[in-house]
Amino acid sequence: MKHFKLFKSSLIALALASSTASFAESFAITNATVHTVTQQGVLENATVVVENGKVIAINPDTIKADIIIDAEGKILTPGLIGSMNQLGLVEVGAVSRSRDASDEKADITFDTSLAFNPRSTVIPYSRKGGITSNVVAPRGGDDMFKGQTFIADLSGRFDSVRISNNSVVIDLGAQSKGSRALALQKLAVTFEDAAKKLVKAKDTKDKKDKKEAKEPSREEQVINTLLAGEKPLVAYADRATDLLALLKLKDQFALDMVFVGAADAVLIADKIADAKVPVVMTALDNLPGSFDSLHASLENAALLTNAGVTVALTVNGDTHNLYQLRFHAGNAIANGLSRDAALASVTANVAQAFNIDSGTIKLGGTADLVLWSADPFELSTKVSQMWIAGKEYSTQSRQDALRDRYTTKSDMPKAYVK
Amino acid sequence: MQKFLPSLVMAALSVALTGCLPSEQQDEKVLINKNPYPSTYKALPLQTTLIKNATVLTGTGSRMDNADVLMVDGKISKIGINLVADGALEIDANGKWITPGIIDVHSHLGVYPSPAVEAHSDGNEMSSPNTSEVWAEHSIWPQDPGFEAARAGGITTLQILPGSANLFGGRGVTLRNVPSHTMQGMKFPDAPYGLKMACGENPKRVYGARKILPSTRMGNMAGYRMAWSHATEYKRAWEKYDADYAAGKNPTAPERDIELDTLKGVLDGEILIHNHCYKAEEMAMMIDLGKEFNYHSGTFHHAIEAYKVADTLAENGNCAAMWPDWWGFKMEAYDMVHENVAIVDAVKNSCAVVHSDSANTIQRLNQEAGKVMYRANENGFEIAPELAITWITVNAAKSLGLEDKTGSLETGKNADVVIWNQNPFSVYAQAEQVFVDGAKVYDRFDEKYQAKSDFLLGQR
Repeated sequence: MKHFKLFKSSLIALALASSTASFAESFAITNATVHTVTQQGVLENATVVVENGKVIAINPDTIKADIIIDAEGKILTPGLIGSMNQLGLVEVGAVSRSRDASDEKADITFDTSLAFNPRSTVIPYSRKGGITSNVVAPRGGDDMFKGQTFIADLSGRFDSVRISNNSVVIDLGAQSKGSRALALQKLAVTFEDAAKKLVKAKDTKDKKDKKEAKEPSREEQVINTLLAGEKPLVAYADRATDLLALLKLKDQFALDMVFVGAADAVLIADKIADAKVPVVMTALDNLPGSFDSLHASLENAALLTNAGVTVALTVNGDTHNLYQLRFHAGNAIANGLSRDAALASVTANVAQAFNIDSGTIKLGGTADLVLWSADPFELSTKVSQMWIAGKEYSTQSRQDALRDRYTTKSDMPKAYVK
Repeated sequence: MQKFLPSLVMAALSVALTGCLPSEQQDEKVLINKNPYPSTYKALPLQTTLIKNATVLTGTGSRMDNADVLMVDGKISKIGINLVADGALEIDANGKWITPGIIDVHSHLGVYPSPAVEAHSDGNEMSSPNTSEVWAEHSIWPQDPGFEAARAGGITTLQILPGSANLFGGRGVTLRNVPSHTMQGMKFPDAPYGLKMACGENPKRVYGARKILPSTRMGNMAGYRMAWSHATEYKRAWEKYDADYAAGKNPTAPERDIELDTLKGVLDGEILIHNHCYKAEEMAMMIDLGKEFNYHSGTFHHAIEAYKVADTLAENGNCAAMWPDWWGFKMEAYDMVHENVAIVDAVKNSCAVVHSDSANTIQRLNQEAGKVMYRANENGFEIAPELAITWITVNAAKSLGLEDKTGSLETGKNADVVIWNQNPFSVYAQAEQVFVDGAKVYDRFDEKYQAKSDFLLGQR
């Protein structure tokens, strides 16, 4: 075999992977180029001190920490945040009994965090992309409401679900059967009815007539959290008319709202920016997949960002591709997005859209951090080290074990190479 | 058929001269037209062009710095330092990189086009496990905007294959990535046809659900073997007909069977196998299947587990076309490793290809190859850009039976050339100019060379 040298070392690295996690009380990363993704911007030769899972100091006068990690000038960023995928819910796409993201009976209350599998092999693999946390989205069922998202970190620990039921997912737009109008109508009516009931319930309460007071249904309770602005309505929609209809509802009911997909958003970018609705989109979608998405383009992330829209990038299609997120951001840069905006689009902007304590490097923030070998977006770069809530995790995965097995010479069958 | 008469007379004469009189009057010889939908492709308007001072990856495994590439009459004329050509259009490519035109051996552009409406879903005749009779070229919608997007990614040649629901999906066709309003206007002249075959989960799932063979992997194998057995009989019948006719007899021609024509084409070595096949044990069996029925088992596509049988593939002259990192969407795609392409490539006489199977990633095959190179180099390989480029150029051309025409920058080959703004294996790399047969078909900075499909015209 030409072009290759040694492999044993990475086998050992994999064996040690579980023991490389840092259990120190505190550590300091020194001499790093820190991209805070906050107003502080980029700090050269900077120090970040982490204790008990939080960032407790940035550039302190004196460094107090159990362990010092010299970053040698490398780039430190917040951990990247994946979104709107089925991480931990689907092990193998076409294996029905390894799928928990959908159920035809699913409704607005559908809480897939109950099915989350932190032991999924997709999780350590996705860490190769510097992903430290993720917005997991249900695929739902027949109902236009697909259920609710939850936030999980990529530690692989059994306590890795950080927040459950943190947004409500709805799928709108083109329909194979029927009309998109009916879904929009139903959505409007749902909010109108719920708002009326709330007013009535308040009146009833005021009159202290407890006989008429009736506990809202589970579904109504979720709608009420939306009306109270407690969590966002996350809407899949592409065509500009659908996005405009949603903006109208947002205005009418003071909703917190996020768009997903939004291929035609560029046609109404100013309105979306004014309404402060973040757009979760794929940087690499540029083909008119349907009549709803005629304006898909590689430049859209840049165009929307320049118009003032908060853009969060996601990897479309199969969740197994989540690790590629940083390459999507790199391609967005190649097509006009600034480097800072690109980093924000895979960190702070995702955190902002879904109310997650991650995505920035700031005092008191969760220490989800990635130290990169070089430019985080470049194909040639890899994760040097990464920390999730202040603990270090390896990027080694089952794929590395397979590679090492089949590149190790042995007189015995490969099954003996472990 | 008038034109065949003289040779008939000759045949009759020669028989007469040997003293063996034909026992009966011969009917007109039945011949099968093997190219009934011929290419009408013509190179776009071109001029002698000299690209100066670039980093050139030749596709033959070498790299030349500050080199010039001269294209004359649609062919690569010279590659060298300080070339001069009178009257040539000169392009200053200082700081830029030049590669052969990128080739994707696995695309469904045109047969599963954008927009993906029902009316355009023409990529897989899922009505029988053996549809060797269908030809992907008959489904191609040349107005698919995906062709334009792929051209902006440096794709100059691509094979359009039928889908993978069937054991035999039908014929694939190789296209030049030039705008045309007919399929024939894109068809790569004299490119061999491909036959799409599929292993594994897809055929057994699709037909198992209908309670017909195959519903298992052994059913898959049975289905292939029965088909090749029929094709062998069919070939023998035609050969007997040809031999008897040549001997002056007046045989009855075998009944024409469009399905078996394609399989016979494989047995005759005229049609190349392109086999959707993920798993090591299945590839090993498909190689033996080819030996059992005397054909070459060709290229394995989506060969997720090719790294497990890299030696076997090289020994048997099989190409493996792979993704850098797709996995997990089904069980047979579970054992992906990032270094798959590199491990296959590392074996002597190998043929490692990076393919897309996607209207999206076909636009970035350079980045797909780059991902493999960097991950492999992190794990003990030493792969340089001049080697990585072969996975999406000359090796792909070899898989398609076109290595004598395209896939590398060598004197006399088709001038299929891409000028990149930088090292093509960067996430920031973009194709700036693309040439097919020496003619510019794309220019990132000149709208004149940015084609637009009929579909998007007037609405975007």
